[in-house]
Amino acid sequence: MDRRNFLRYGMMAGAAVAAPQINPDFFISSARAQGSRPLMFLSAENITGNWDPTAHTTLSQKTIEGFVMGFLARAPMRPDDPGAMNMELATEITQLDPYRLEIKLRDDVTFHDGKPFKAEDVKATFEYGSLPDRPAQWYPGSNETFEVTTPDDYTVIVDTSKGGYGAHLFIFLAAYLPMMSATDIAEGPNGVLSTRLNGTGPFRFVEQDGNDTVMEAYEDYFKGTPTVPGVTFSFVGDATTRMLSLMNGQADVIERLEPEQVETLEGEDDIKLSRLVSVENKYLWFRCSKPPFDNPLVRKAACHAIDRDLIMQIMGSAGEFSSNFVSPIKFGYTDLENYPEYDPEECQRLLAEAGFPGGEGLPELEYITSTGFYPKTKEYGEVITALLQEQGFPVTLNVMEVAAWNERLYDRPGGGPGHMVDCGWSTGSPEPDLVLRTHFHSGSKRICGIEDPEIDAALDAERNAETLEAREESLQTNLMPMLADKVPALSLFTSVMIHGMRADLDGMFIYPDGSTDASEATIG
Amino acid sequence: MFIVRFLARRLLQGAVIVFLVSALIFTLLRVVPGDPVRLMAGGMAPEALIEQIAEDMGLRDPIYQQFGRYVAGVVQGDLGQSFVRPANGAAVGGASFDDSTRGERAEVWDLIAQTAPMTLQLALLAMAFALVIAVPIGVWGGLRPGRLPDRIALYLSSLFVSLPNFWLGIVLALLLSVHLELVPAIGYEGFAYTILPAFVLAIEIAPFIIRTLTVSVAGVMGQSFIDIAAVRGLTRNQIVFRHAIKNSSVPLLNLLGVQFSMLLGGVLVIEFIFDYPGLGLLTINAVMQRDFPLIQGIAIVTAAAFVLINIVVDLCATAIDPRLDY
Repeated sequence: MDRRNFLRYGMMAGAAVAAPQINPDFFISSARAQGSRPLMFLSAENITGNWDPTAHTTLSQKTIEGFVMGFLARAPMRPDDPGAMNMELATEITQLDPYRLEIKLRDDVTFHDGKPFKAEDVKATFEYGSLPDRPAQWYPGSNETFEVTTPDDYTVIVDTSKGGYGAHLFIFLAAYLPMMSATDIAEGPNGVLSTRLNGTGPFRFVEQDGNDTVMEAYEDYFKGTPTVPGVTFSFVGDATTRMLSLMNGQADVIERLEPEQVETLEGEDDIKLSRLVSVENKYLWFRCSKPPFDNPLVRKAACHAIDRDLIMQIMGSAGEFSSNFVSPIKFGYTDLENYPEYDPEECQRLLAEAGFPGGEGLPELEYITSTGFYPKTKEYGEVITALLQEQGFPVTLNVMEVAAWNERLYDRPGGGPGHMVDCGWSTGSPEPDLVLRTHFHSGSKRICGIEDPEIDAALDAERNAETLEAREESLQTNLMPMLADKVPALSLFTSVMIHGMRADLDGMFIYPDGSTDASEATIG
Repeated sequence: MFIVRFLARRLLQGAVIVFLVSALIFTLLRVVPGDPVRLMAGGMAPEALIEQIAEDMGLRDPIYQQFGRYVAGVVQGDLGQSFVRPANGAAVGGASFDDSTRGERAEVWDLIAQTAPMTLQLALLAMAFALVIAVPIGVWGGLRPGRLPDRIALYLSSLFVSLPNFWLGIVLALLLSVHLELVPAIGYEGFAYTILPAFVLAIEIAPFIIRTLTVSVAGVMGQSFIDIAAVRGLTRNQIVFRHAIKNSSVPLLNLLGVQFSMLLGGVLVIEFIFDYPGLGLLTINAVMQRDFPLIQGIAIVTAAAFVLINIVVDLCATAIDPRLDY
């Protein structure tokens, strides 16, 4: 066989193999023809690949859980009434005494796999989620610190007397913890929990198809079958791509709009926007377990070097001014009087007191931030760097793509990488301890790595308060001012969650953490 | 038997190239910053667990030992498992350190097999568009060197090559998809989703084809056999289409081979902008997630494709011009 014949026969074989691959549908039907279709939600963040709700803190996956899972209650968290709670799987939540909480449940709810929802599921969810080895540590204490009993199939009693903290801590958590099936939980973390979602929410998890999480309407949803036939939740990494998808009608909802995109979309008749003050504050975290930020005077000096008004100008509509370590829509928020503001003279005084007059003697400092996920991090990171340099801090800004930043984010023995790191923290509940305890208690200290007995004591004091009123007072007069004085992190501002959606999409309710109730959504 | 010797020689050369590419990629990936175990296990994983996982996976062994194990697997057709992607193929972020789905990671080969046909379809359509755009312009310019058609070919090439593909992609998506609603733009739900990204790629490739053809056709038209063809009584069309274009196509063929290989290697920006689920998007996510096995697998497959395409191009060239001997 010569080369010509080899080539000829090779091409014929190739054509024979390729012919069945041609899709004839393209020639006879329009690719844009659409009938009744699922809601298309484009996300800026990918998921973890493990569906166990207690195994991650990833926001996009919490949003998916919002479609599929059921909650005892939901907290709309609007600024005019941050503590409001709407009952869902629970009919009422009552504090019997400081250490006992009674939860009454609906009796007409079933999981997507057909199992009736009962008190045993709440008990199993609480006990499993609070195990010390579960990565998403949302509970006020481990399963050793409280007891759950079920007098009947639709009543749950939570007793926190063993832990010595108030049972009311479970009230706000009720709006955040997705209820899992006791049957699923019995298989443990290596069982079905990790491979699929099984909830009582309006949409049933069908499959993960590449980057698409496919969900379909759950006909037996206790509030009635959703109007849209399903939801497809898809990770699309590029912000411009998401916006174009919304504009051409391929997407119905997109999240985390950049301020420039807001201006573009405001001029479009068939697009509408949703702006919500979110539960997420953006922080400048100091690595408190290594020099020089192990010294609170240096931390405070750095805070006084930063002009937050400049940051707000950069953030535009994507940021809301706040002066506390939690969002204004969290329980206990107050504008702190001693919150460090821009004051170069005070900065210099503190630096001199710390032994670094004019910044002399400070080591080279690395400030780590990300680009591509949070809006404007690089831009305001450059401003913060310049302001710190102006006061004598030898800072270098290191802007990283999200995966590399994520790898360097958390505290490690001896202090995490760099000296300062930018990150937000968002939890879909009014519960402030989901932020404060998680980050500032020496038993958790996720990013800043602070170990301070006084802060630990203040955190325990507010947690152990017997009533919500006493707790609020403890938060506002003890813990929060103490944090503003020791500044293990500087909360820069509160994020504004901006969603873009098609104008013909109605009935969506978006919570301030980005999770969405689409049970009453209609398209067109 | 000539063809057997030819193929054996070229495939052997190709195997050496693929080996060198994989050795280079393997080494580079392990010296750049970014610990894949930290990404796999999640930021909250304790340091001791990170080290334990790394040691269990052999990631703390010397690089030559890791490479030896990897090559042994590749020779047996095993490209390994993705560090982070689950079997359903989703692009995932840092999971928890207690991630029990670790055992269900996707096979690298499966991920490539799912996405490569998408990129192949995109590359073929882009190539077809590029030829439709470039061949008339290039031949026209080549037939009239130094005159208006040649200058138009030059200006158009300059214009096309100056357009950044990410900008053109966004503008065309805005115009053709958002405003005129002619074609869909983002993601993939059918063949129509390939048209717009393929067109953008075609605009990117066309200048090279136009310039190659213009120069090549002009060169062939200046040769004596073309002058003699007119004396033999052939019409202008016969001279151009039967002789000039055929003889001008050998350099074009080599160019197309290289361009097509580059397209298969992952059209990163275009697939990212259009969220087109091909090898390019897979590569971007793999790089961002420090998914070493996936990056290595893609590199090996694309290097192998590069070698095979060039063998086919050489065969085609000899079919057109038997004087060529490789």
